Amino acid sequence: MEKILAKNKLDDWVAALSDWQVSAPIMEDDIWSYKASKGKVQLEHSNTVQPPKGFSFPQREVFFSFEQIKGQPPRLTPIQPKAARHAVFGVRPCDGAGAVRMDTVFNDQFQDNYYQARRSNVAYVGLACNKPQGINCFCQSVGGSPVSSQGMDVLMTDLGDRYYVAAVTETGKALMTAGGKVFGEPSADDKKKLKQTHADALAQPQRAINNVDAVPAKLKASFDSPLWEELARACIGCGACTFLCPTCHCFDINDENTSSSPLRGNRVRTWDNCQFPDFTMHTSGHNPRENQGARLRQRVNHKFQYFHENFGMSQCTGCGRCITECSVGVDIVNVVNKVTEHVG
Amino acid sequence: MINLQDMRDTARNMLAKNEVRGVIGYRRSTNGMLAEPVVITKPEQADELIWDPTCFHNLSLYLVEDRKFLAHTRAKADLPIAIIAKGCDARSTVVLMQENYFERKDVYIIGVSCEGTGVLDERKLVKKGIRATNSAFDGDDFVFTTEQGEQRIPAREVMADRCLECRECFPKEHNIVLGEDKTGRQLDAPFTALKRFEELDPAARWEFWDHQFERCIRCFACRSVCPMCYCDECIVDSTSFPVTGQTTADEKANRVKWIERSATRAENMTYHMTRVLHLAGRCIDCNECERVCPVNIPLRLLNNKMEREAREQFGYEPGASIGGPSLTASFLDTDPGKFIR
Ligand code: SF4
Ligand code: SF4
Ligand code: SF4
Ligand code: SF4
Ligand code: SF4
Repeated sequence: MEKILAKNKLDDWVAALSDWQVSAPIMEDDIWSYKASKGKVQLEHSNTVQPPKGFSFPQREVFFSFEQIKGQPPRLTPIQPKAARHAVFGVRPCDGAGAVRMDTVFNDQFQDNYYQARRSNVAYVGLACNKPQGINCFCQSVGGSPVSSQGMDVLMTDLGDRYYVAAVTETGKALMTAGGKVFGEPSADDKKKLKQTHADALAQPQRAINNVDAVPAKLKASFDSPLWEELARACIGCGACTFLCPTCHCFDINDENTSSSPLRGNRVRTWDNCQFPDFTMHTSGHNPRENQGARLRQRVNHKFQYFHENFGMSQCTGCGRCITECSVGVDIVNVVNKVTEHVG
Repeated sequence: MINLQDMRDTARNMLAKNEVRGVIGYRRSTNGMLAEPVVITKPEQADELIWDPTCFHNLSLYLVEDRKFLAHTRAKADLPIAIIAKGCDARSTVVLMQENYFERKDVYIIGVSCEGTGVLDERKLVKKGIRATNSAFDGDDFVFTTEQGEQRIPAREVMADRCLECRECFPKEHNIVLGEDKTGRQLDAPFTALKRFEELDPAARWEFWDHQFERCIRCFACRSVCPMCYCDECIVDSTSFPVTGQTTADEKANRVKWIERSATRAENMTYHMTRVLHLAGRCIDCNECERVCPVNIPLRLLNNKMEREAREQFGYEPGASIGGPSLTASFLDTDPGKFIR
């Protein structure tokens, strides 16, 4: 299904999605973030600081609550995520590609019901990048493209005064069908313009990973490289790069007590991240990833080597967030290029 | 004007003469026009050093990292390490020495005066719609290279708030110093931003912080970047509970967790309240914590509030002297609180 939507009809489409909660990028506190749209959707954003991964993998997920009353057996109450149907507008292709990675991880050998309960109720309405969103975009180096529909249910392309809107999945078709008459049929001219716009987008200069096909093997050969420590020298070990990454999915599980007598609380999953020094800390006090160099290596190798080995694709989708948001200049493109440069 | 060549020559000579182990300074990053921290250890690396309005990082953090590294590897350092320090960086270095984190002889301070200006607040530049590929100091202006050519902007329009309010833009504590002392050039009175905020009524302020704490993702960049947040075990870390062979499952389950991992508003607020109290009398307003926050939480307002309180109640200036009393480890006979006397 391919349609044309006049820009001034976008809100009408959103209004027609009465069965859906609509979210879109909103500028608030000087950053772009996905927020409930309140009927108005304007797609003028550069990429959001936080990717849309939280819609299916929120930073905090309660698995069940527990209660232990003296003389009684412990009581567990399972908690299933409330499943509001969410249509997320304005998703950029790197984040659509991110969703594919997340889906892969959470459905691999074990289907994560909490993830799935949310994910099956989320639809991504993507927006192609006619121009790179920032100076650190490199989607084309990692098998993506600024006009890719990977992970999307619908892909929109800005053609000036109108959007070219293409359904990618059945859910996408349903979203567009709900819009009914707000859409028009694309003319031959629109189709020509679409082709041209996409070709132009692909020709835009981006940052680049050198010799990308050789990267997984070269990283494998560089595990003991002294460069890791050198390149991580300025790293402060915070969670900015991973928490903001559309594909970082590590988590921690804790019991959070709400009362100690009687014992009550929740078992909770929260985001965790490999850059925190305590991420790999053993109960014995031994930490196998002893320094920030080893932690940087984990982040980079996970994206560019291990994920290739496990799933045959790059985990990094080239959004550039971890570069832009790192406060001390640790730059994944630079790190990969530097580490792989000297390997035969 | 700071002469970059002087900075590089100083670093080169000291390394060549084996007077220092390394020099902590700034070099150009690969992330656009920004500077990044670097530790150079060889004389030939001196030419990597730069000095421009994006040198906002407080490098004294790397003095702490260096100490931690030495302690961890049980290495001995015979030579001091040198640091390029602005006024604020020098003040935090003083706090660290006041707290005996290291001694004066362990560091060689290459001070740089901010002269008439301070450093850039990147967000202000973005707000002006300027995309620059380079930045430079020039008198009272910053000069940016953009696609449209050179753009000259009065520094005060895009300077960090802390620099506008800076009381001491000259590193008083130094071994050598580059640039002139133009302290007293203060553009905004101290606490201007805080005063502006406090014009809101309490209900509005509560709502404001409610909103801010709700947004925090607890990436802890604010903590990790702070030179004074050097605790080996921060109360927010899961490792702050020592486990031995004798620790029982019950003890583990019932351990006191000061702050849960969940980034909920209440937990976030506890984190920030703890942080700001732990920084009272120690925070020297380098504002790194606010700068690094990916979601723009205005932490400076919290820090400034504590700073002003300490100043008004006790005349306390953080980072003023190595040998001076510290705010929380000393008391005054003239303490305004009766309970303490
Ligand atoms: S690379 Fe940057 S963002 Fe990531 S942990 Fe290190 S300092 Fe933080
Ligand atoms: S690793 Fe960095 S560039 Fe790659 S997807 Fe994650 S945040 Fe984006
Ligand atoms: S706060 Fe003061 S010393 Fe620090 S950078 Fe700004 S002007 Fe310079
Ligand atoms: S840097 Fe910002 S988001 Fe991260 S923990 Fe600090 S206040 Fe929260
Ligand atoms: S609390 Fe913030 S402003 Fe204060 S010293 Fe630490 S990083 Fe600098």
